[in-house]
Amino acid sequence: MDTKKPSAPSEPVLREHVYDGIQEYDQKLPRWWLFTLYMAIAWFVGHWLFYYQLGYGSSDTVAIDQAMAEMQTAREKQMESISDAQLWEMSRDPKIVEAGKATFMTPGMCVTCHAPDLSGTLAGAKLPGLPLSDQEWKHGGTPLEIFKIVRRGSPDVTKGMAAWEGVLGMQRVGEVVAFVLSHHQEGEPITRAPDSPPAK
Amino acid sequence: MNATAAAKVPVEYNDKVVRQFLLASVIFGAVAMLAGVFIASQLNYHELNLKEWLTFGRLRPLHTNAAIFAFVGNMMFAGIYYSTQRLCKCRMGNDTLSSIHFWGWQLIIIAAAVSLPLGFSRGKEYAELIWPINVAVAVIWVVFGVNFFLTLHKRNEPSLYVALWFYIATIVTVAMLYIVNHLSIPTSWTHSYGIFGGVQDALVQWWYGHNAVAFFLTTPILGIMYYFLPKAAERPVYSYRLSIVHFWSLVFLYIWAGPHHLLNTALPKWLQMLGMFFSLMLWAPSWGGMLNGLLTLRGAWDKLRTDPVIKFFIAGVTFYGMATFEGPLLSIRAVNSLSHYSDWTIGHVHAGALGWNGFMAAGMFYWLAPRLWNTKLYSTSMANFHFWIGTLGILLYVVAMWISGIMQGLMLNQVTADGLALKNTFLDTLQAIRPLMGLRVIGGAMFLVGWIVMIVNLWKTIRSGKPVNEVREVAVIQRGSGDTMGVKETFFNAPTTCTLGALFLLMGWIFLPPGADVAALVGTVIFTFMAIRRATQNSENWAGWYDKLLSNYLPFTVLTFVAVVIGGLLQIVPTVTVNNAKNVEDRVQKLYEPLELVGRDIYVSEGCYNCHSQMIRTLVPDVMRYGDYSRLGESIYDHPFQWGSKRTGPDLAREGGVRPDSWHYEHMMNPRSMSPQSNMPSYAHLKDKAFDQKTLPKKIAVMRQLGAPYPPMDATEIKMKALEQGAKIATELKKSNIVVRPDSEMVAVIAYLQKLGQFDAVEEEAIQELPKPGLPFPLKPVIPDSVRKASPPLAN
Repeated sequence: MDTKKPSAPSEPVLREHVYDGIQEYDQKLPRWWLFTLYMAIAWFVGHWLFYYQLGYGSSDTVAIDQAMAEMQTAREKQMESISDAQLWEMSRDPKIVEAGKATFMTPGMCVTCHAPDLSGTLAGAKLPGLPLSDQEWKHGGTPLEIFKIVRRGSPDVTKGMAAWEGVLGMQRVGEVVAFVLSHHQEGEPITRAPDSPPAK
Repeated sequence: MNATAAAKVPVEYNDKVVRQFLLASVIFGAVAMLAGVFIASQLNYHELNLKEWLTFGRLRPLHTNAAIFAFVGNMMFAGIYYSTQRLCKCRMGNDTLSSIHFWGWQLIIIAAAVSLPLGFSRGKEYAELIWPINVAVAVIWVVFGVNFFLTLHKRNEPSLYVALWFYIATIVTVAMLYIVNHLSIPTSWTHSYGIFGGVQDALVQWWYGHNAVAFFLTTPILGIMYYFLPKAAERPVYSYRLSIVHFWSLVFLYIWAGPHHLLNTALPKWLQMLGMFFSLMLWAPSWGGMLNGLLTLRGAWDKLRTDPVIKFFIAGVTFYGMATFEGPLLSIRAVNSLSHYSDWTIGHVHAGALGWNGFMAAGMFYWLAPRLWNTKLYSTSMANFHFWIGTLGILLYVVAMWISGIMQGLMLNQVTADGLALKNTFLDTLQAIRPLMGLRVIGGAMFLVGWIVMIVNLWKTIRSGKPVNEVREVAVIQRGSGDTMGVKETFFNAPTTCTLGALFLLMGWIFLPPGADVAALVGTVIFTFMAIRRATQNSENWAGWYDKLLSNYLPFTVLTFVAVVIGGLLQIVPTVTVNNAKNVEDRVQKLYEPLELVGRDIYVSEGCYNCHSQMIRTLVPDVMRYGDYSRLGESIYDHPFQWGSKRTGPDLAREGGVRPDSWHYEHMMNPRSMSPQSNMPSYAHLKDKAFDQKTLPKKIAVMRQLGAPYPPMDATEIKMKALEQGAKIATELKKSNIVVRPDSEMVAVIAYLQKLGQFDAVEEEAIQELPKPGLPFPLKPVIPDSVRKASPPLAN
């Protein structure tokens, strides 16, 4: 190898000092290696200048607030198109009901607390959820009221259902409500539960 | 440099302590890996959480602490004790200190192995051990340091070899990090609250945590590489000047990189930016070490075929290069938004721990054992088998974790067509990565098998020889021929003043108010160019000064300490000294009621943070899944902070008030009843155990001391409050036909979980009115975020 001709001028310097038998060459620093170091430093200085001195780019909180506000506007727009009548109509559409059922029955979702038969009980034991197959509705039984509970959760979420809109999105919330409504008839009596919050 | 050579005397090295540390490392390495394979299996088979003291949350700290402190710790000590004696041409400073160091360290390991499964934990990663053990670690570390510096003091080789530079950096820096991150106020013999809370604790913890990797798992092993690799290759080291440049840039830059563990969180942006950019700048210095290792083999590559020691070293250094390329990549905020909290990080760590530490250790053991027992290695083919099964094991492990991390990250971010809802539940993503978590177990097990083969090989080797302590003829040098550098020569000379001057101005650029900062930047640039010119023109002077520094161990140590202390000071001091109220943004968390505090301590001691974060990042998918992003003030009373670093389960920052108490009860009794196919262990044992009322008043008192504004309450009042809240929850549960003791740990944990995410709004003006910290000087330092040019449009 090249180390056999130590007197050539291009040869690396071998330092004289020997440490417990170990010697060191004194090779020049590889150029590409230095280049990566300089590039990283330049990127730091440049980026910092742009963000802090020149004020480019938005801060994290501003960016996220903006993104979430845009989503909220889009959701409200979707809400405008939903009515009791439309939800009843959806509940008679087998395709929509089937989709809602699939979501409902997904492990970890509605079925966990409300049971596969919507009774809120499993093998005689009471589950955390209320029955959805009877005519008693703690938070109101009109389609839009049910829709609201699924979207936002119960008024005091420590004692009831969680909000599902973030996970499901409006479309799937609608499908799930349609599935629940498919167990009911339009115009059937709606009773309030004894522990219902006072009606507004 | 010319040591006045006097008469040659025989010196017997203390090789006994090297043998002891070597054996301890080999054994604890196996224990750490076995624990790793076991807890990795628990992630797919929750049934393996056999007993409360064998749950993932308690065993994962055991695995990490065993790997870091027991396995690599003992390996590092073996390597340092062996090489330092030879590089200094003298016996270790003091034999008694060597023994105390060895036995003290093993006792600490045993104390850790007992206390962690019992649930005694401080709840901070790699800093879980309780305070009495912390004190022991600090004491033993000081014993080690004294012993090491005594050796330097009486050395018979004036000049310090590069390996010793790295050892010096290790000893000084680990002492600093360990002590600061473990400062706490005891509430009993087994429990304490750290003095930092919330964001301060987060910053200090990851300053420590990241640099545990840097100065416990990296610098000592680089030192070991610089000694053992050229020894085994019988070749000169590639480049002395590369050693200098990469050593100083590495120790200076590493310490700044801690905040890259907190990217996109509530941590102030300037700290996040520093964490990211210093990580990127760290790439080249890290690769400097790799290059010096790999290129030392120039002209000896043929040994790679025949010598297992070289195989392990080269693979180890290559994995080091891979991990230190991946590290900066993961530190980029955009990449991190996907990778953080996922298995990708786990894969990254193991590329380092198994590939770099594991293989460097194995190479060193195969080289040392025949020499320490005066014999030949029992079997080269067994060592080769170890190499190949180990390499395949690591690759399988790392690749599985890459795929798992990226896949879960992408799935968690997936949204529906209208972009308004998430596509996958957390449980969906968990099911998706199960096969990959299985592959990881196989990869880890392969590495363990290789390790066991090594143990057998070493055992047979040792049996065939006899322990010997090497004796060498050494020329004793006169005291006073080295170590003569004074303060003036150390600090007031071109290299030091130029470097420190440029750095000082650079800090000015970051911390000075608008106008002055730009001036400081211009100054930095001018200063840097001047320094480069002087260095090239007077290169012989500069080199001469450095040569002299190398024969003066104390000035060298002081300068090393200066290099490592700057980054920590500038990141932590502004955050810690700033009034707590300044760290709140627009919300401040509600104070924990006594019962909730008890529940929190149980949450911490069960190690829930190993799988659940409490930090919703400023990222759309995080906010969609878990709720409004976390503010600084929302963890202000959290000692320790529980922001977490891995989401094997979902984030819990806003878990409070989302589900009924009965859900939590059922979920902790049997997680799968509420979350089908969850891999969480059952926490049924909390139901029958009464929570600790006795220490509660003391805990509240310490929290008050730490700044939590509890009203004055006497001990009975505190206990009554806790029991009343417990009774309330028990009554609520009764409605769902659940009977539970009102003083049970279960009730306390439910109380805590229901509290998570509750806050009081803070008036914007109240924040503004607080006195701004600063020096009584026209140029008051300011936090960069507070003077950013663009005025942020108000969102609310």
